[in-house]
Amino acid sequence: MKKIFLGYQRKNNVVGIRNFVLIIPAQGNLRMLAQKICDFVPETKTTYFPWEIGRSKADRSVMKRTFIGLGLNPNISSVLVLGIEGSGFEELDAEKIRDEITQTGKRAELLIFKKDENIFSAMEKSVKIVRELVLEASKERRRAFGLESLSIGVKCGYSDTTSGISGNPVVGKLFDQIVSHGGKAFFSESPEVIGGEHILTKRAKNKDVAQKLVAAAKGFEDKALSVGEDIRAINPMPANKEAGISTLEEKTLGSISKSGTSIIEDVLEYARIPKKGGLYFIDTTPLCELYTGFSAAGAQLMLFQVGSNAIALNLKPSGSGGNIIPISYITGNSETYEKQKDNFDFNSGPLFNNIEKMDEYGEKLLDKILEICSGTKTKAETVNYQERIELYLQDPVF
Amino acid sequence: MEKGYSQEQIIILNSRDNVGIIKRDVKKGEKIIIDEEKYQNSIEVKDNIPYRFKIALENIDIGDTIIKSGEIIGKAKEKIQKGEMVHVHNIEGLRGRGDLKNK
Repeated sequence: MKKIFLGYQRKNNVVGIRNFVLIIPAQGNLRMLAQKICDFVPETKTTYFPWEIGRSKADRSVMKRTFIGLGLNPNISSVLVLGIEGSGFEELDAEKIRDEITQTGKRAELLIFKKDENIFSAMEKSVKIVRELVLEASKERRRAFGLESLSIGVKCGYSDTTSGISGNPVVGKLFDQIVSHGGKAFFSESPEVIGGEHILTKRAKNKDVAQKLVAAAKGFEDKALSVGEDIRAINPMPANKEAGISTLEEKTLGSISKSGTSIIEDVLEYARIPKKGGLYFIDTTPLCELYTGFSAAGAQLMLFQVGSNAIALNLKPSGSGGNIIPISYITGNSETYEKQKDNFDFNSGPLFNNIEKMDEYGEKLLDKILEICSGTKTKAETVNYQERIELYLQDPVF
Repeated sequence: MEKGYSQEQIIILNSRDNVGIIKRDVKKGEKIIIDEEKYQNSIEVKDNIPYRFKIALENIDIGDTIIKSGEIIGKAKEKIQKGEMVHVHNIEGLRGRGDLKNK
């Protein structure tokens, strides 16, 4: 029987697994207004981002691309873009952001306020529009879609020996399935590619992609050296070694196994949306920028594959980042799972002593993902917490 | 990754590997039974090795590459006997040092 999930068909030809209205404040000055609208109206999200003042032109362009990417994310039903008349940077022009979203077929409304607008009257105008957007969003209905409509990202952390054996390879199986059916799968963490370039380049679609993979890893290594850090000297970390990982290559190998065995279609710049299905590598850090990066590239859901129990999930279960895609914490370490069951959606720990069951666990994970996509909350989603989003901004602030 | 297999006490991820991963704490002197002629069907454990750490499946010379999951994960910096623990004290990464230039 064909495997399906229930999702929302969006006008810009993608399928959502959640249903939100997004408020985009095109300037830092509008963040408070955006937050307050979200407090008043349910089922809304906003991009609470760092100030654009003092940033380079390149970084402001990344911000613009990220806002548009978030607006186009499959989990977003419609958008309200907020701007201030006559002020702000060219790259962050509210009307242009709105237009780039509506060009794709998705609904995006625009409010430009005068500089001396009062916040409370701005609230009145905004809330009126957003209430209507949320009402319209609630009329959308889920229907059945196949694996070709999936778009999933994965990050791994707190590596131990389970990561490369019972953890990440299961995600690899999931990714192989998604990609073979025409869906999209994303992985990233450029600094973690160091030591494994030869493994990844073997799977690159062509020489151009292979070169981009090597450049992505080298870019981070060079950046580290330029500030006096030698990545190769500090990785693996003491915690990794205590857990049995002996060399950088061993750690990288374990990390890379989460991408499966598919051809790597392309290396994507931050916040670029790929047009067709396939496996994609996003060039960015392993940190919170990546969560936003997945959202801006069009992922519906993000997996966080955890090794050892160093992560203080009990203190902050919902993670941070783009806030518009759910995060699902999964692990291949049964001890980790037992200690934090409230926070994990999947445990492939038993696989460590029964590695022949790899395919079986791949299917189990796929079924769990389809269930989450169809509406079952991730454990992290059962806690209300929204953090400032991190974006991948590379230049100094002036 | 070629299909790996595990036995009672050990995981071998790929037929090209010269290290295995042990499935429970093992003590020096124990015998691990492997159903593989390639390794003479058993390994005598030469160190106390913790759960999930690596064990040498055969004798490894200084400078020989260490293969796990069919890939090179480093090289031996000491002579390693079959059955010894394989970890930071006797192997090093080829890519793990700032003084080595990239290819």
